[in-house]
Amino acid sequence: MSNARILAVDDSPTVLEMIKAILVSGGYEVITAVDGAEALETARNEMPDLILLDVMLPKLDGYRVCRLLKFDQKYKSIPIIMLTAKSEEQAIATGIRTGADQYLTKPVEPEKLLAAVAEELNKVQG
Amino acid sequence: MAEHGGSISKNLTTEEFLRFRDHINQQSGIYLEESKIDSLRISLVTRCTRFGLTSLDEYFELLSIDESELRELVNLLTVNETSFFRYSAQFDVLRDKVIPEILEQKTEGERSFRVWSAGCSTGEEPYTIAMTLIDSGIESMGYKLEVMGTDVSTSALERAEKGVYAPRSLLNVPSNVVDRFFEPTPEGHRITQEVRSLVEFKYHNLIKEPYPVSLIGSWDVIFCRNVTIYFRMESTRRVVENLFQSLNPGGYLFIGHSEALTGITDKFEALEFDGIFLYRKPRKKVAQSFAELVKSRLRERRSRALASKDGEGEAKDSKAARKAPQHGPAESDSPSEPVKPDEVPALLDRAREALAGGRPIEALEAVERVLAVNKDSAEAYLFAAYVHADNGDFEAALAEAERALSIDPLSAAARYSLGLIHLRTDRPEEATADFKRTIYTDADFVLAYLNLGNLYRARGRFADACREYEDALRALYRNPEGEWSVFLGGFKPDLLAKVCERSLLECRKKIESA
Repeated sequence: MSNARILAVDDSPTVLEMIKAILVSGGYEVITAVDGAEALETARNEMPDLILLDVMLPKLDGYRVCRLLKFDQKYKSIPIIMLTAKSEEQAIATGIRTGADQYLTKPVEPEKLLAAVAEELNKVQG
Repeated sequence: MAEHGGSISKNLTTEEFLRFRDHINQQSGIYLEESKIDSLRISLVTRCTRFGLTSLDEYFELLSIDESELRELVNLLTVNETSFFRYSAQFDVLRDKVIPEILEQKTEGERSFRVWSAGCSTGEEPYTIAMTLIDSGIESMGYKLEVMGTDVSTSALERAEKGVYAPRSLLNVPSNVVDRFFEPTPEGHRITQEVRSLVEFKYHNLIKEPYPVSLIGSWDVIFCRNVTIYFRMESTRRVVENLFQSLNPGGYLFIGHSEALTGITDKFEALEFDGIFLYRKPRKKVAQSFAELVKSRLRERRSRALASKDGEGEAKDSKAARKAPQHGPAESDSPSEPVKPDEVPALLDRAREALAGGRPIEALEAVERVLAVNKDSAEAYLFAAYVHADNGDFEAALAEAERALSIDPLSAAARYSLGLIHLRTDRPEEATADFKRTIYTDADFVLAYLNLGNLYRARGRFADACREYEDALRALYRNPEGEWSVFLGGFKPDLLAKVCERSLLECRKKIESA
């Protein structure tokens, strides 16, 4: 699914631009949001094929956004990759489970990010 | 309290009850008797409403994959049980700290002490408050005592007015209290006339606005325990705002022992007495300084850490336990220890790491300690600005960044941050000026060129944008690392170069096609 549309969410415009650059280089179409509330609204309005979600977000944190989408019949099939800070690894391991499909620790290598995106999109397709 | 809304209001079928009962039993060891079916229904409706879920199946799914949600539900189930002196430490603090403090503030003419128990259910809480007031001895000092209990359940209010309780409700009550304030009757233990005469009950729905005149204003203390558990976020905000308005200046709000108003309101002063966390309406309107704000956040954090430590493994403390991981590991050294000036660089490093690791409270703590020895640390204010910006509070972030700049007008990072905040708050003119000034102070600040390029491009000034992107690339080749690198979110400069190159190419195309 190379023409897949991906919603990238991060509160730093610069980081967002870089994530966008990585995804565009992988042939994806990218839409963006800069906080949790906007992420939720955009996801609901635009129905992206995949969501890349930062955890630390103003207004509504990434975990909440993820949960709200994953427990909605209408949106639960959208794959969500969470981008987390290193310090959150432990928290994830010990059970903050939000229904996200994959977790990537920041800073993430562009190749790793593209691989994860391709993997999740393939799962949906297959 | 039995206030709730939402679309799931039907009765639980036996099948549904068993399904949830068995799951809760398996996962938490708590076994719900058949008599708990209504309590379970109310709790399920409350949680479903909170998430906007429309069926119990969806909620069951959420429950099965999310341990923290299971804790929330169990918490709520146990909350529905009310008893006398529930979380008795709160009443000790009321008697020993809160009442004396409020009396000290009262003028000669103010001769009443009024407490509102909001969401009083069957009356255990307002009666306990009345007993505590009697125990405090303030009646003998000439104060008229008033306790008001309100709830939306008329059947609960009827039982409250009757004031007769089964022995089970009296489990936490010391026998000397039972002897003084209860009299045995064939139906159960009845509250004595002395206590009953202080308490009045009224029907009131906390989410129905406007509040009746009789409830607005002049309360010294309000108990509204579990308010943040029962309502949706927006309703919680409204309720807490109304309670704030209803309190006297200097009055106290008691919420549940595992609750916090973080993210709901910052109007109250957060205080801690003996591990009990309370909220006080400020006596007069004073702008909280940053240092005070940090202090109150730190107090809050410590008391939550305490609560989760005390209640390890207990469902009732789930809220505190759940919040704990977000705040990172607790620091071993106390922030109140004096900081030596030579520790400042290490503390700033710690703040920087905490910020990068997504631990804002820890960052604030380090910032506060730095400011304690050095009120003029531009870097400390800048880190505070980052925390506020991360939190979505751009006005506060702006104030802190400006403070940093007033101390160090040549700080490129502070100037750049100001630009970012202006960008986020839709003030492109200010942002443009800030990014330009960033470059005056540091000609290698790559990200300032990039942002200027983006701003010009958004306004269709493609030639100006091209120039900025080119400058960004030049600066990047001159110096692939700098003060600006912290804003890259861990990505490498070569990716940044790609971003600049792509933007440059796109702008050139625009110019050619024009």
